[in-house]
Amino acid sequence: MAADAAPEPKANMGQPVPRLDARLKVTGEARYAADFPVGNPAYAFLVTSAIAKGRIIRLDTESARAVPGVLDILTQDNTAELKEVKFGSGGASTSIQKLGPEIAHDGQIIAMVVADTFEAAREAAYKVKATYAEDKPSATFGDEGLKEEDATKVSERHKHVPKVGDADAALASADVLVDAEYGTPTQHHNPIELFATTCVWNGGQLTIYEPTQFVYGLKNSLAKKMDVAPENVRAISPYVGGAFGSKGQFTPRTGLVALAAKKLNRPVKLVVTRDQGFTTATYRAETRHHIRLGARRDGKITGYSHEGWEITSRPDAYVVAGVEDSARIYGFGAVQTKVNAVHADRNTPGFMRSPPVVPYIYALESAMDELAARLAIDPVELRRINDTMHDPITGKPYSSRSLMRCYDEAAKAFDWSRRNPEPRSMRDGDWFIGLGCATAVYPTHVGPAAARVRMLANGEVQVQIAAHEIGNGAYTVIGQMAAERLGVPLSSVKVELGDSSLPPAPVAGGSNTTASACSAVLKACDAIRVRLARSVATTDRGRAAGFAADNGQEMRADLFRRLGVGAIEEYAEFIPRGGKPDAVKQLYAGQVAMTGGPNGEKLMYAFGAEFVEVRINALTREIRVPRIVGAFAAGRLMNTRTARSQYMGGMIWGISSALHEATEIDKARARYVNDNLADYLVPVNADIDRVEVILVPEEDHEVNPAGVKGIGELANVGTAAAVANAVYHAIGIRIRELPIRIEKLLDA
Amino acid sequence: MPNATFHSVATSVAGWSRRMFLTASATSLAVPLFARTSRAEAMDPQTARAKDPRDPANLALTVNGRKHQLALDARTTLLDALRERLGLTGAKKGCDHGQCGACTVLIDGRRVLSCLTLALVAEGRAVTTIEGLAKPDGTLHPMQQAFIDQDAFQCGYCTPGQILSAVSCVEEGHAANDAEIREYMSGNLCRCAAYPNIVAAIKQTKHSMREG
Ligand code: FES
Ligand code: FES
Repeated sequence: MAADAAPEPKANMGQPVPRLDARLKVTGEARYAADFPVGNPAYAFLVTSAIAKGRIIRLDTESARAVPGVLDILTQDNTAELKEVKFGSGGASTSIQKLGPEIAHDGQIIAMVVADTFEAAREAAYKVKATYAEDKPSATFGDEGLKEEDATKVSERHKHVPKVGDADAALASADVLVDAEYGTPTQHHNPIELFATTCVWNGGQLTIYEPTQFVYGLKNSLAKKMDVAPENVRAISPYVGGAFGSKGQFTPRTGLVALAAKKLNRPVKLVVTRDQGFTTATYRAETRHHIRLGARRDGKITGYSHEGWEITSRPDAYVVAGVEDSARIYGFGAVQTKVNAVHADRNTPGFMRSPPVVPYIYALESAMDELAARLAIDPVELRRINDTMHDPITGKPYSSRSLMRCYDEAAKAFDWSRRNPEPRSMRDGDWFIGLGCATAVYPTHVGPAAARVRMLANGEVQVQIAAHEIGNGAYTVIGQMAAERLGVPLSSVKVELGDSSLPPAPVAGGSNTTASACSAVLKACDAIRVRLARSVATTDRGRAAGFAADNGQEMRADLFRRLGVGAIEEYAEFIPRGGKPDAVKQLYAGQVAMTGGPNGEKLMYAFGAEFVEVRINALTREIRVPRIVGAFAAGRLMNTRTARSQYMGGMIWGISSALHEATEIDKARARYVNDNLADYLVPVNADIDRVEVILVPEEDHEVNPAGVKGIGELANVGTAAAVANAVYHAIGIRIRELPIRIEKLLDA
Repeated sequence: MPNATFHSVATSVAGWSRRMFLTASATSLAVPLFARTSRAEAMDPQTARAKDPRDPANLALTVNGRKHQLALDARTTLLDALRERLGLTGAKKGCDHGQCGACTVLIDGRRVLSCLTLALVAEGRAVTTIEGLAKPDGTLHPMQQAFIDQDAFQCGYCTPGQILSAVSCVEEGHAANDAEIREYMSGNLCRCAAYPNIVAAIKQTKHSMREG
C-alpha cells in the first residue's frame, strides 16, 4: 500500500481505506449520466446564439429539417409550454431561459435539433441559420453601458455586509497603510465530464439522467419546468464526472430535452459540446477589489476596508460577497466592506469551487503580504500578531481555529526559515527563487439531510441517501460512518447515492456533504443501536449499546435473535442546530437552508496555511512551481486518503488560478474566445511537481454531530495569493491581477 | 469543418494513420472510404462518386477481442460507436476535439484518441477499451490496481483514459523518471488534479508490467 496516498491517521482521523467506488472507476463500470443505456434514443444538439445582445429577426430551419434523420427542432415557436423556474440557489442557474427572440448573452440557446443519430443532429444544427438585429454589448469592466448596484440592495442572498467601528478614521491614523487594487478573471469550471441530459418518459413518469450536485433540486425544478407533480420525476446521478459548482443548479437545456422526449415519445439524449458549456451553464465571474489595510508599527492591524465589484448578467444579481468571510479572519480592529454587482451582457455566473473566498481571500492575502513587506515583519509573524479566536465584527467566538498551528507545521516542512526576506535575493543559476505563503479558509456549512439504514442479522448494512459522489469520496466516507457506528467491516456496507428516490441530502455545495450526510447516517445508525439495545434487560443495555466495540458479531447475532427479526431499518432526519423545524420537508421540495460559517452562535471555519516555491527564469520569465506545502485543520477527517487527495487537487486548482486559468473575452462582441480545453489553460501533469499535504489534527464537537468541517473547498483558497507573494519575492514585481503570466513579468 | 477534424487526426495519431490522413485531409471527407479498397460498396458505380456518407456503411469492429458487425453513418467516431452502439461507455467524451484524453483507447496496442478516429478506420485493428483491460476472471491489470492503491482519481471521469494512456506510457518506454512520466501523460487532463498520484501509480506499476 502506498504511504503517500494513505497518510497515517493522527488524532480524530479515520482510516485511509481505498474508495468504495474505486474498482468501478478503474474498470469503466461506474455509470455517469451519459453512460446509462436507454432504449432507442434520439440525439439532441444545441444551437446557440452568435451575438451577445439583440434579437433574432429570423430563424431559418428549413435546410436543417431536410437533413435525413432529423425528427424535430425546438425553437422559441414551439416551446412556450415550458414554465419559468425561479433563478437562485436550489433553483435555476439563470433567468435567461427562453430561446428568443431577445438575446441576452453570447451562446444563449436558440434552438435544439433532435435526430435519429448524433451525426445527423450535429449536421442539422449547423444548418440552422439565425439572422439577428445586433446591439452593442457591454462585456466586462471598463466597458460602456455597465450597470453597477450595491449588492445588498439586489442580491437574494446577501442583505448586509460586515462593518464595525470607524474604519476610515483607523486607516487615516495608521502607522503603515496598504492601499491597493486587485483583479481576478473569468474562470470556467470545465469538469472533464460534459454537461449531459437524457430524459425518458414512461407514461406520465419522467426519468432524467443528468450529472448533478443536487438530485432533489433537479427533480423539483424539472417538475416545475414541465408543470408536472414532483413525484412524477426521478433524477438519477450516481457518479458525477467533476462538477466544482457547475452542476448544482437547473440550467436551460434540461427542460428542452424533457420536452423533446415528451413530444417524440422517445428517450432523448443531449451531450452539450465543450464550447457550448461555457455559455449554457455558469462560471466564476471576474472581480475587482479595492483594499485598504492599516497597521501599527508593531504589526497590529487597526483598520480593514474592502470593496469588491463582481460581473453578473443583466437580469440576475449573482454575487459571492466574500467579505462575509474575509472580514472575520484576523483581529482587524475597524472594518468596512461593500460589494457591487456589475451588470453586463453576459450569461449569469454561479458557484465555482469556494465561490466567495477564492477572489476575496486572494485580494486580502496579497494585501497582507504587502503589509508585511512594508512593516518588515515576516509574513507568518504578521498573521500570528493578528490571529484571533473571536469574530472582529460581532465578538462571537470561533468554535475552533487552528490557523497558527497550520502555519507552524507547514513552515517547518517547507523550511521557511531559509527565506531571505529581501525580494530578488535568492537565485539558482538562471532562476530566481521566490517563497511565499498565504492563509486558506473556508466556512463550515451543514444542511438538513435524511437517511435510511438497514442492518441484517448477518451484519450486512445498506445505506441510502441522495448525497452526491462528485469525486469527494462520498460513497466511502458515508460507508465508513455506518461501518463505525454499527461495528461492521466496511466491506459489509453497501451505499446508494445520487437518486431522488432515496431520502434527500443537500446540494453538494459549500463542502457540506460529509457533515450533513454523515450526521443523518449517524443518527439512523444510532437508532438501530437503540432498538437492538432495547431487546435486552435494562442491566445489559449499556453493554448492548456498545456492541460496536469488541465481540460485535456475536453480540449482534444474539440481539437480533432476541428481537426475533432478520433486519432492522431506520429512517432518520437530521436538522442542524439553528435549522428550521421544516428544513427536511423543504429539502424534499428541493430547497436547502445551510447553516454555519459566520451565521450561528459561533463562527465555524476551517483553516489552512500554504507555502509555495516559485522559480522564474531570468531570461524567459517562465514561471514554475517546484513545490507547494499545505497544512490544513478541518475538524474530524473521515478518511485521510480521500482528504489528502481533495487537498492536493485543491492546491493544484490554486496554482491554476494563479498561473493558468482565465476565460478571455472579446470585448467588442462580449464573446468567450478560448472556449475549449486547448486554449482554456488548466494544469497538465507536466505543470505540477511536488505537492505536500499536512493533515493537522483538530477536534470540534460544535460544528455538527459528525464533527467534520468541509474540506473540498479549503485548499484552493489563498493559493493564488501564496503564488503571487512568491512571485513578488522572487523578482520584486507585485502582480495584482490574475493570472500571472510571462508577459506581466517582462518589465522586471 | 470536416477537413479541420481530419487534420487533427493526422497530427495526433502517430504512425500508421498519419500518412493516410494527410492524404485525406488534402482531399475530401470520403477519401478514407476510397483508401479502403475492400470497400467497393462505398462508391456508387454509376457516378464513381462516394455515396452519401450518411448512408450506413457496414463494418466489423474488433473490440476487446470480440468482433462486432455494425452499420454506421460514416461520420461516426470510434468513441461514439463504442459508447452509443456497443454499450462500451468506459471511454469518455470530454471534448470531442482531441484536447482532453478522456476518450483514450488502444488500437493495436497504441494509445489513440477515439474521438478523433473514425470508426471505419478502426476496422481490422484490435481495439482495447478499459472494459477489456482486466483479466476475464476479474483480476485487475496492475495499472488499475495501482490507480486504486495510489488514489489516482477523484471523480473518476478521466480515469479510463488515464489508465490506458499510462499502460502505453510504460510500454512505449516513456516512464524512466517522474519528469518523463509527467511529460508523456500530459495529453490526459485531470480536472480533479490527481496528477501526483497518477505519477505514483505509474511508478508502482512499471516494474510489475515489465516482469509480467
Ligand atoms: S474526448 Fe477525445 S480527447 Fe477529449
Ligand atoms: S479524476 Fe476527475 S477528472 Fe480526473
